[in-house]
Parts: sequence; structure tokens; C-alpha cells
Amino acid sequence: MIRLSGRLRSAVIIGLQGIRARKTRTLLSMISLFLGVLSVTVVQAASQMAQRAALADVELIEGIDGTLYMSVEGTPEATNATLRSLEGRSDATAITQFPAIIGEPNVRPVNEGGSPFDEQWGGWGWSGGSVRIECDPTGYCYEVIDEQYLQTPIGAAIELRVVGMSADIRQFRPFRLVAGQWLDFSTDPSYSPGLVLNREAAKGFEMYRVPAEMRIMGASDNPTPRILGVVEDGQRIPMAYGRLDELLNWVNVGAGPDPYYGGIGLEVLVAPDATETLQVLRANLAAAGIGEDRLYVRIIDSRRQVEQVMLILRVVFFGMAGLVLLIGVAGILNVTLATVGERVEEFALRRAVGTPRMLLAGIVLAETMITGLFTAAAAIGFAALVFKVAGPILAEVHYSLAAGSFPWEAALAGIIAGLFAGLLGGLIPAVRAARIPIASVMRA
Amino acid sequence: MTPLVQLIGLTKTLRGQEQPRPILTGVDFTLHSGESVAILGRSGSGKSTLLSLIGLFDRPDGGQYLLDGQDITRISDGKAAALRSAQFGFVFQRFFLLKHLTAAQNVAMALVNGQGWLPRRQRREKVLAALDQVGIAHLAKHRPARLSGGEQQRVAIARALVREPRIILADEPTGALDTETGNLVVDALRATTERGCALVLVTHDADHAARMGRVMRLRDGVLHPEGVNAPFGGAAEWAGLPSDQAGGSSHEPRHARPAESEGVRA
Ligand SMILES: Nc1ncnc2c1ncn2[C@@H]1O[C@H](COP(=O)(O)OP(=O)(O)OP(=O)(O)O)[C@@H](O)[C@H]1O
Ligand SMILES: [Mg+2]
Repeated sequence: MIRLSGRLRSAVIIGLQGIRARKTRTLLSMISLFLGVLSVTVVQAASQMAQRAALADVELIEGIDGTLYMSVEGTPEATNATLRSLEGRSDATAITQFPAIIGEPNVRPVNEGGSPFDEQWGGWGWSGGSVRIECDPTGYCYEVIDEQYLQTPIGAAIELRVVGMSADIRQFRPFRLVAGQWLDFSTDPSYSPGLVLNREAAKGFEMYRVPAEMRIMGASDNPTPRILGVVEDGQRIPMAYGRLDELLNWVNVGAGPDPYYGGIGLEVLVAPDATETLQVLRANLAAAGIGEDRLYVRIIDSRRQVEQVMLILRVVFFGMAGLVLLIGVAGILNVTLATVGERVEEFALRRAVGTPRMLLAGIVLAETMITGLFTAAAAIGFAALVFKVAGPILAEVHYSLAAGSFPWEAALAGIIAGLFAGLLGGLIPAVRAARIPIASVMRA
Repeated sequence: MTPLVQLIGLTKTLRGQEQPRPILTGVDFTLHSGESVAILGRSGSGKSTLLSLIGLFDRPDGGQYLLDGQDITRISDGKAAALRSAQFGFVFQRFFLLKHLTAAQNVAMALVNGQGWLPRRQRREKVLAALDQVGIAHLAKHRPARLSGGEQQRVAIARALVREPRIILADEPTGALDTETGNLVVDALRATTERGCALVLVTHDADHAARMGRVMRLRDGVLHPEGVNAPFGGAAEWAGLPSDQAGGSSHEPRHARPAESEGVRA
């Protein structure tokens, strides 16, 4: 151990002396390596940030890893059993989604079908009546466009999807509060349901002045919602989030009026450690006659999904960066071979004074690897600078890229690339240096 | 007393391109601590080859090499390096100073060789002591370009001395120097023997040979004793040899020096 560290120190000392003695060459080596190390650093940084962004989206839409997702059919037995099981529990939430229109009555919404406001998807799904479902006596059902409805003028109304939840969903899907406040689940339910909009819905409310009257499919009365706040939820379509207990006054979960879609079903999100809640839920569902075969259950693993996609991209881009790095390796190899050729006498002399061959190889490798490290430092500094300048622009591209610091893994990748390139470029010259016969000093 | 170095029938054959050429055909040689030996011989007679065998740069084809009574004829590369570092000091005709290093750093080179690790301060002390030993401690910070030939060769000697070796091998160390400077260098080398170091000096200079304790001549691949000098290069009665043999180096005519004249090459 002591012997080894002594040799390592010797190699580093002599390597640094060599670098100082040949500054121009070192600079040339660094220039040839710079692009390669830079590309590795940038690819690592970019892939990480892309992953961060993708993961943030997936977590918002799907849920954080380990969350159990269950889909419960929209029958009264199933929904009642579920709601009863989860009542008063905070480690699992039942959620239901349904379309609603907020705004003037008797008009078609500006974004029919609940599309984003700068896109027009047309009257898909429930749009307050543009599509009607009719069934023939054999039980076959089909959509019918209601011509009369299409005569209805478009007015100050917005269609959105409303999500009602029995407990806070943000523990599973970490929505970011953008404005106002999030729902309070501790108070008594209000008759006027509180809603938190997502950004797209908020955009709609900003663009069109709509009265606070909410039309819900199947509901006979129209409630007056209270808008509490705005969140980032990763969705492109307008959405609104509310307390299920408040919305249940208006919407009939489990006994929806729609013969085609059946009743409005429930989705359940269960925290990984909520074993008791899950047991109760399963028991109640089983008691209601809903066996496992009628439930759709899966554990969310967002990270793996994202990583699988990212892996392919990574391989492609790192492959390209590796090629650029290889060109740099050729450069440093070339320079170092020439240097070793000029230093035959020095190396022979070093062997004469007792330097082992291994250390001679070590000296050459130390020089190339230190050069690689210097290059890495330069490339990382450059990349970090670009990152800093481009930061505000990145934040525009995706919210998850805002306020991020330069990923340390990218710096690490750069250092590894530099060291690796130094090692690779120095290997052949190192072997040559180790092979120089001592007798060279006697015949020089 | 066990000799420091004992060579018994050492042979070395050069296996070049065409015919194998025997250089050393059976060298017997004994060296004790504190002894100084001059080796003379024509250019190409194999003096450097012999030194490279003694200094463990290379291994002999036949014969035996005992160092301190230990057979090291077939020693491994790594052990040879360790022995070179610990036991031997080398001085060559050319100085081989690294021009980007100061005198002190050049001397320290023998300490930073992967054979044990000395802290910076101890390295400094040893380096300055070695430079002091050859009388140029005041030049420690100078780079070779600012040193005269004699000073440079003394830096090289300090480099050979810094690990306090037991054997100094010098291959024509004065070949690139004028007479006066050459004498200074030989003085510096001979001074080491007073501290118990053994010295083998390959030279073409009869005067320098005469200042060694013994003189040997390499001829036809064999080492012949040429004479024994009295201490400090005086008359030869000391060893009981006829005086005309003691100054045996004078048999070597001056013009036998290699025509290529190392002085120009270096
Ligand atoms: N690597 C080599 N390749 C070919 N021939 C060699 C090699 N090394 C030595 N020789 C030959 O071996 C012989 C002895 O060489 P050596 O250098 O030992 O002679 P020397 O006595 O030191 O000569 P000089 O006084 O000129 O230095 C010479 O004839 C030389 O040509
Ligand atoms: Mg020679």
C-alpha cells in the first residue's frame, strides 16, 4: 500500500513536471480532447434534464413510484364499497372524473370536447349534448350527432374535466401550486364546490369571461363553483380538481345516467405503506361481490418507464459523443507518442536510476490523464457557463427545468470522460516508454 | 571478507542481425568496498557492455555475478531496478540532465523513482547534501542551460550519490570535458571512495586511470589486470609491482582514443 502510494505520488509529481515542461503540447492535447469531453458532459446533462422533465410529467399524470392504482367499475355496489372503505382515510384517495361545462347555460362551450384552448378537437365525448347515444333493441348502441344541438350558438362557456377526490391527491401526484390555494379537506363540505384549476383551465377563464355556473352531465341542478387556486398538473387539457364529498351533491357516482359509458367509475390511489387501508378496501369490495378479477390493479413505476425510453436516447447520444471523444483520443495519442519518442534518453536514464518499468508507464499515463482532467475542467466550466446563460430559456421550455442547478452527474461524466480519454490515449505511449532499454543511455 | 562485486567467467554475446558476436568471453572481476578501479580498452572492446552488466542494465549470457556473495546472475527486472536504486550510482559521458528541471530537481530524480517515498523535506536535505558533496550546492536552483559542462557533470555525480550507493559506475565521465574540468570530476568521484564507496571508472585517459587504485584492461572480451597504483596516484611500490607496470595506462597510446572524439559529440 505504502509502496503503491509512493509510486502514485512519484508518477503524479513527474507527470506534472513533464506537463509544465511541455505546455504547448499539453494545450494541443487539450484542444483535441475538448470537444469529446464537452459532448459527453453535455449529453449527460441533457439526458438528465430530459429525464427530470419527463419524470416530472409522468409523476404528475401517473403518480409517484410505488403508488397502487386501482380502477373500480362504475356500479353502485363497487363505488359504494370503495367510498365507504376510504371514508376518513388520508393514505388513499378515490377519484372520479367527469366532464362539466362552466359558463352561460344553453350555449356550446368555446372548447367543445374539452380541448385545449388553442386547439379544436371538435365535439368528441360528452360536450353538453352534441353527441347522443342511442341503442337499438338488440342492445347495440351508437353515437348520434344531435343536429338540433349543433344549431345552438357557441357562448361564454368552457368545457373541462372535473376530478373529485376523497383525499388529497397531491401525495400521489405532486401538483405544483401556481396561484391561490389548494383544496382543504379538513373542513365540512360546502354546497358550493371549491375547485382548483389547472393552468390550461385558468387560461380559459382568463381568455373568456364566463359566469360561475357549472353544468354537469346528469345533474338536474347547476352548482356555483368557487375557484380556489391554480395548479400545474402536467395536463394539456383544461381540468379542475375538487372534493368528492362536495361534488357528490351534484354528480351521481356509480349510477351515471349514461347507458353507453355506464356509471361514472372510480379510480383509487393507495400509498405504498397503506396496507391496512388496502386490506379494508379489498375486503369491502369482496363483500360487495367485486372479486379481484373485476378490478384493474397495478403498481405505478414511472421511473422505470421513463428510464426505458431514456436509455435508448442515451445510448444513441453517448455513442455519438464517444466517437467525438475517440477523435480526441487519437489526438492525444499522436502528441504523446511523439513526446515519448523525444524522451527516450530521459526514460532510459530514469530506468538507470532504478525507476521500475511500471512507473515509467505510470508517468506517461499520469501526464495524459492529468491532461484529460484539465480538459474536463475546461469543458465542465464551459458547459456550466452555457447552462447558466441558457437557464432562463430552458425554464420556458419546461417548468421542471427551471431553477435547476448544473447536474453534478454531468460534471462527473466529464471527469470520467477526460480520465478515460487520457488513459486510452496514453496506453500505447506508456507501453513504449516502459520498453525503452536502459542501454540507450550508454550509446547516446 | 566477501567482495562487493564478484564476476566469474561472465560472457555476453550480441545477437544482432547476422552472426552472433561475442563481446565478453569470460570476464573475472572482483571489487571491494572503498576500492577504485579504472577500466581501459579500445573503443568497441565492450567496456560499456561490461558496465551495463555490472549495473544490472542487462543480464549476462553465461558466468556468474555475485553481489555481496549473493548470486544475482538471473535476477528479475523489478529486483534489478530496486538494486540499481539502492546500491548503484551511474555517471555517463553525457550528463543526461533534464533541461526543464533545476539542478536540485535533477538530483531529486534519483529519489523520486518509485523505490520508497521520502517526504519533501528529507528529499531536499539529501539533495543539498549530495550537491554539497560535489561542491555545487550554491547552484541548486540553476537549470542545466546555465551550468558549465563540469558543473553539469557534477550535478550528474550528485544524482548518482544522492541515495548513498555502494558502487559508482562511471562510463567515460570526462569524455566531454576539458582536461582541467575532467580532473575536477575525477576528484569528485574518487572522493566517494574515501567514504567506503566502490568506484569503477571506464576511461581513455591514462592520467585519470593512474589515479584509481587498480587498472584493468578489457581486451578480446577478457579483463586483464594492468597494474596497481599506490594510493593517490603515487609510485607503485605499495602493491609490490614493478613501477613500469604500475603506470600501465601509459601503454595505451593517446592516439588510440576513439576517432569520433566524444568531446565533439557531447
Ligand atoms: N545495441 C547494439 N547493437 C549492435 N551492436 C552493439 C550494440 N551494443 C554494443 N554493440 C557492439 O558491441 C561492441 C561493444 O560495445 P561497447 O559499447 O561495450 O564498447 P566500448 O568499449 O564501450 O566502446 P567505446 O569506448 O567506444 O565506448 C561494439 O562493437 C558495439 O558495436
Ligand atoms: Mg562505451
